[in-house]
Amino acid sequence: MIYLDNAATTKMFEEAVGEYKKYACDLFYNPSAFYRQGVEVLKCINDARKSLIQKLDAGCGDIIFTSGATESNNLAVFGSKRNGNWNYIFSMGEHPSVFNAAKELERQGNKVFFVSLQENGEIDYSQLESLVDEKTRLVSVMHISNETGAVNDIKRISQIVRKKSKALIHVDGVQAFNKIEFSLKEFDIDFYTISAHKFHGPKGVGALYVKNKNNLKNIIFGGGQEENYRSGTENVAGIMAMKWANEQIDVKRNFEKTLKLKKLMESVLLKDEKVKIVKSASPYILSVSYSGVNGETLARALQDEGVLISTGSACSTKKAGNRILENMGFKKSRIVSSVRISFNAYMEEDDIKKAGEIILSCAKKLALLQV
Amino acid sequence: MKVILLRFGELYLKGNNRNVFESMLINNIKEKLQGEEYRFQKTFGRYVICDYKPNREVDIVEKLKKVFGLYSISIAEEVDATKEDIENFIKNIKIKTENFKVYVKRADKNFPISSMDFAKELGGIILENNTNKNVELYQPQTLISVDIRLNGKAYIFDEIIKCQGGLPLGSAGKALLLLSGGIDSPVAGYLMAKRGLKIEALHFHSYPYTSEQAKEKVLTLAKKLCDYVDEVKLHIVSFTKVQEEIHIRCRNEFMITIMRRIMMRIAQKICQNNELGAIVTGESLGQVASQTMQSMTVTGGVVDNLPIFRPCIAMDKEDIMEIANKIDTYQTSILPYEDCCTVFLPKNPVIKPTIEKCLKEESYLNIDELVDQAMQTEEIVVLKRD
Repeated sequence: MIYLDNAATTKMFEEAVGEYKKYACDLFYNPSAFYRQGVEVLKCINDARKSLIQKLDAGCGDIIFTSGATESNNLAVFGSKRNGNWNYIFSMGEHPSVFNAAKELERQGNKVFFVSLQENGEIDYSQLESLVDEKTRLVSVMHISNETGAVNDIKRISQIVRKKSKALIHVDGVQAFNKIEFSLKEFDIDFYTISAHKFHGPKGVGALYVKNKNNLKNIIFGGGQEENYRSGTENVAGIMAMKWANEQIDVKRNFEKTLKLKKLMESVLLKDEKVKIVKSASPYILSVSYSGVNGETLARALQDEGVLISTGSACSTKKAGNRILENMGFKKSRIVSSVRISFNAYMEEDDIKKAGEIILSCAKKLALLQV
Repeated sequence: MKVILLRFGELYLKGNNRNVFESMLINNIKEKLQGEEYRFQKTFGRYVICDYKPNREVDIVEKLKKVFGLYSISIAEEVDATKEDIENFIKNIKIKTENFKVYVKRADKNFPISSMDFAKELGGIILENNTNKNVELYQPQTLISVDIRLNGKAYIFDEIIKCQGGLPLGSAGKALLLLSGGIDSPVAGYLMAKRGLKIEALHFHSYPYTSEQAKEKVLTLAKKLCDYVDEVKLHIVSFTKVQEEIHIRCRNEFMITIMRRIMMRIAQKICQNNELGAIVTGESLGQVASQTMQSMTVTGGVVDNLPIFRPCIAMDKEDIMEIANKIDTYQTSILPYEDCCTVFLPKNPVIKPTIEKCLKEESYLNIDELVDQAMQTEEIVVLKRD
């Protein structure tokens, strides 16, 4: 089986599983406990914070551990909401965990704007500029699109926002953290979301980077963990396994390796003139369509051939249509044909080549039936 | 003693066959109550469930509500059918509404006082113990019924819980339901089961054109039907090859018509192999192009010796949806997975096909071979009520 759905989730590092077990079975203590064992565990998760901040190259700021990206995104959106005549700006390309939070803000009576996408999948920067004003409370834009791999220019976004307002900036970095090199210091943003299972850590754990906690209010109420920003006993084992994965990954090396894989896949697929790809800067995600072939049908047929791909964000395949590709101006026929191939740095080139050829032969077969 | 009183409906009509129907009904009741502790009593015209654990009462009632052939049930107090015992119980009744009425029915005509007079007397006793309450004969908020039976017992209750009605499951035989995954077919299965048919089901999938989830959805629907029919043997047949062949060889607008004719042929085979006496579909006249009178003529035309039951034929979509909600299949049915009727869908399907035109299109196909090939893909899953 060749797994090409790494944007949905990745396989955990074996050693990260070992680390998980260590903190689930041996050092299983509650980090809020007063006795020595608890205090030791608290130190460990504080080390994990430092490890993440270092990788983010944030310099200052804090890490709030959460149950994953959906929670981190909700915390950033609702935790920065304030009463008054504020407006909130999101991109049309956001993952449902931001997009639907935005819709909820709107439903609650807040002024919410959505920035369109350009044909290349990045946001329309000039539209963003026209929308931001001194009443903008939050701008939330994803770093890398989970659908297309398009990389938004976060530095440019923060410059646009900072020039015109004091708005907070949130970036959903789920598909970027530990995948491409960047520095939060250079970005100059306020919140950054990360998720462990996208970089070979466990599911059910993630974090929100927060530059200045005074800008955030908690949305969960309880025992006051995470300095009251996220009550609930910390997922220590998950956090420590995430730390391990974080420290294991050499972002630069992985980027180069994955870029090779993506280029190889593109070169195999583009041999067939019916293939169209969306050019994008992330080496980890490739959005492809085969003219005349339904993407879902293709993905299912591939499953039988031992190749697993997706028809877009796995978190939203139950929904009809595709908001993101539509917003990029794709025709319906191309949207219906679109599939997403996503890589990890630990794959073999032979597998990529083989998978590419299987994809082509399946698509060709289905195209004969012109469905 | 608290008991559950069971009434059955149409069995009255069955004359000499009544015994057969009754023993089926009793078996079905016992089947449904498997795992419960209780005692079952049969009296003329009523069944009584007694000696059950009080904390199981709600569950037992819920199960009984899904037995076809039962008309209604009541949770009742059973007392000896003497004037004194009945009065003693009535004395302690507390009326919670503003008004009430007492209704007495005597199956035992030897009871010493007429129904009307006894009702009046009992009403008086209740009034004595419930000051500020009134008797309302026409639209009472509470109706206290006293049912004096021939077994020397009287049953006193204030609520009649409506059940499914219909005929005992299995009393009409066994049929094959074409189960697509949409809203109508589970309803059709339910309606025919209500008329006494046990149900097996047939589902066609077109993997990879249809998804695993679409198949899972059908399994869920079949499972939900088990609440009523106890068990569904689900035949799952791959229709992919057939659809591809039709798509390649036949005129596009005939896709659905030919597809349905082949489905019917496969259904008929499965009926023969499994001794099933009818085909049941969820078709509703005019709902879609394939459900016109002409379409049904040509699709039904390939079935030789079996009746095709279409219980939804005269129903509006809203009415079908209402039943789907009642039997809890609606939310599953509307999950947005394509079924095999929605892939390869022609833009303008033929609305008034004729047998001749169908035969011409089918002449481009090797029908027997396609049917056989499809039959070879048959998977069987037996689903049972939890």
